[in-house]
Amino acid sequence: MTDILFYTMAALLVMLSFFAVSLPNLLHSATALIGSFIITAVLYIMLQIEILALAQIMLYIGGIVVFMLLIILLTTGLGGVDDKLGKITIGKWISKGAITALLFTGLLYFFTENSSRLLDTGASKTASVTIDQIGVRLLSLENGFIVPFEVVSLLLLAALVGAVVIARKDTEKKEDLS
Amino acid sequence: MTLSHCIALSLILCGIGLFGMLTRRNLLGILLSVEVILNGANINFAAFAHFKAADPVAGAIFPIFVMAVSACEIAVALAIILSMYRRKKRLDVYRLEELNG
Repeated sequence: MTDILFYTMAALLVMLSFFAVSLPNLLHSATALIGSFIITAVLYIMLQIEILALAQIMLYIGGIVVFMLLIILLTTGLGGVDDKLGKITIGKWISKGAITALLFTGLLYFFTENSSRLLDTGASKTASVTIDQIGVRLLSLENGFIVPFEVVSLLLLAALVGAVVIARKDTEKKEDLS
Repeated sequence: MTLSHCIALSLILCGIGLFGMLTRRNLLGILLSVEVILNGANINFAAFAHFKAADPVAGAIFPIFVMAVSACEIAVALAIILSMYRRKKRLDVYRLEELNG
C-alpha cells in the first residue's frame, strides 16, 4: 500500500517538476511548482517528519511561490505570457538535454558503483521526528543548532534590508550612470 | 519505499532542475529550476534522516535551514529582477551583456 502510494507520488512529482521547468508560460510553471511542493509535503509525511511538511507548505507554497507569482505578474504584465523569451530552438533543447543526461548517468554510475558504501544495511531503523524534538534541538546550547539559527535570523534581516535597498526607486536624484 | 527509492527520486529531480537551468532563458525560470533542485536535496535529507541516521533530528533540521536561505534568495532575487526590469524591460539572460561574464 505504501509502495503504491510512493510510486504514484514520485511519478506525479517528477511529472509536475518537469512541467515546472519546461512549460513556456511562467504562470503555468509556477502553478506546477505549487503542485510539486504539495506532493513533496506528502512525501515528508510518509517519511514521518511532519514538521517538514508543515514548513514546506507554509514557507514554500505560502511564501516562495507567492513571491514568484508576484514577480511574474509584476514583470510580464497581467497575463504572464512571455513566449518570445521562453522560446528556445530544438537544437539547444537537445544539446542541453545531452549535458543533463551525461551528468545524470555519471551520478547514477557513481551511486550504483559505491552503493555498498552509501547504503550499508547495518543499523537500518526507521525513525520519526516530532516537533518537540526539533524545537528543543534547535535552541539547545550543547549539541544543538543555536548558532546556525541566529545566523539565519541575521541573514533574513540582511536579505530584507538588501531587497529594499536594491528595489528602491531613485526619486530625488535622476542620475543615469549606465 | 526504501532509501534507494528516495535517492533515485532526488537524483531525477536534480537532473530535471539542471535541465531547466540550462534551457530557460528567463531569469525567473532559472530561479524556479533552482527551487526544484533544492526540493530534491531536501527530500534526500529527509530520507536519510528517516531511514539511516543515528540522529534523525539533525537531518530534519537541515531542510528548515535550506528553506530559510531559499526564502532569502527569493527576496533578493525579487529586488534584482524588479530593478533589472525597470532598467531593461526584459529578463532574457542572453541579452544581459553588461557584465561580460
